[in-house]
Amino acid sequence: MDDMKLLRDLGAALEHEPPATLARQRNRLTQARPRRRRVGLLLTGLAAVATAAAVAVPTLVLRGTQTVAPPAGARPAKVATGALNVLVVGTDSRAGSERFRASRGARTDTILLVHLPADRKEITAVSIPRDSMVQIPRCGSVPARMDMINSAFDKGGLTCTVKTIETLTDVRIDHMMEVDFNAFKEVVDALGGVQIKVKQPVNDAKSQLRLPVGMRTLNGEQALGYMRLRSLGDGSDIQRIKRQQALLRAMLAKAKKTLTDPGRLRSFLAAATKSIKTDKGFDLETMADLAVSMSDSRLPKFVTVPWKPYPPDPNRIAWKQPEADQLFARLR
Amino acid sequence: MITQPATRGADADLVSASWTQPEAFAELFDRYSAMLYRYVSKRLGPEPAEDLVGETFLVAFSRRRSYDLAYADARPWLFGILTKLISRHRRTEAARYRALLRAPVEDSVDSPADRVAAGVSAQAARPELASALAALPAKDRDVLLLIAWGDLTYEETAQALGIPIGTVRSRLNRGRRKVRAALGDTNPLLDEEA
Repeated sequence: MDDMKLLRDLGAALEHEPPATLARQRNRLTQARPRRRRVGLLLTGLAAVATAAAVAVPTLVLRGTQTVAPPAGARPAKVATGALNVLVVGTDSRAGSERFRASRGARTDTILLVHLPADRKEITAVSIPRDSMVQIPRCGSVPARMDMINSAFDKGGLTCTVKTIETLTDVRIDHMMEVDFNAFKEVVDALGGVQIKVKQPVNDAKSQLRLPVGMRTLNGEQALGYMRLRSLGDGSDIQRIKRQQALLRAMLAKAKKTLTDPGRLRSFLAAATKSIKTDKGFDLETMADLAVSMSDSRLPKFVTVPWKPYPPDPNRIAWKQPEADQLFARLR
Repeated sequence: MITQPATRGADADLVSASWTQPEAFAELFDRYSAMLYRYVSKRLGPEPAEDLVGETFLVAFSRRRSYDLAYADARPWLFGILTKLISRHRRTEAARYRALLRAPVEDSVDSPADRVAAGVSAQAARPELASALAALPAKDRDVLLLIAWGDLTYEETAQALGIPIGTVRSRLNRGRRKVRAALGDTNPLLDEEA
């Protein structure tokens, strides 16, 4: 007896005989809708998926490659079945770029907790300010400490970020995904640029971004600069988050409007799936599946974790309780 | 290995017939739904199995025009689709294996005379097997189980997963090595007899 034999025995013990009701599945096949309807469904669905792909959510909803290596130890229980919580982090890693070497580490510039309820109707995206001073649990050899939330990623990677957020919020994170600078740029370019309303003239030396007041269409590079822009207004992360949310909302709106054209949709998906790493499971059929469940979703609601200045250092912030807990309770 | 009776036409003929007569596709369901059901029931249990089998055929049907008619046997194609669908149920699968860990091992204190040596040995190894399966990376588990539980050959597994046959071999070896390590790298049966 060898291991394969033991495995086959186990399989035999686990096996069930098909029930008579299996025949119902045959009817599903013979009553399948005519082809045209299916294509229509596919396109609406894809547009919806592509919409959400703009914030890179569905890649993960569709089980992208970067699934969470589950943090060790106790984790919050998954309460509502069918609901999904996806953590999307935007990092400043510029793999392959001359100026930013991987050795310099990467920080999470943007942290979004996206909640998809079981009915996929009212999607909520919660921005977590990177300047939040929080209790970061022990991750590997790095001891627990009070620090800025974005340091969790730098020192402990994705798993530590997930662990930190799960400990803080008691929200179970089902999936997570990392979008780096290049991915973001490519998504915006694939959308054919994104239009935003500039309320305050921008002249930023770091990103060489210059934008006069008014409605402006940004290409990928510009959108990235705008996304990262800190030295504008009062220079706070909170104001930046507002700009990021406006930008994401504009991207989603653009996606919804333009991706109904199959040609553009195809080039968008090609770009999105290239720059946001996905696995083989991320094919059209898989997308269509989720898409159908999301096709009547509205644009996500963007909120920020309620906060107040952090007493020891007014340049940092602390989560305001009990408001923050009340917000997260709704996502559990 | 499951072989097809020579009397009936190749699956590929059914698929190509279904391009013009969609009803022909139902014959594929009659041929393979039970086999696919048994396979899913091992990995995910009976509850999701029925729906997944239906889903597999719907996906297959929608892709029937891209079927490579050079392959007479449609099983690898169907198993490939099913594998992708199963991968969305990783939690269910993991929970299923974990449940086996908790289940009491029966007969472990029965008198030796009642024992069917091989059966006891297989049953005693069950928790180790289950935890090894739960711990395997999904890609390795897919390969291992397509071969052990789906009765596919190496070539068919390669075809099902769209990977080179060398990759099938290396994933299988890695999976088996871990399973054997979980079993203590000993052969329980031989140990008992020693």
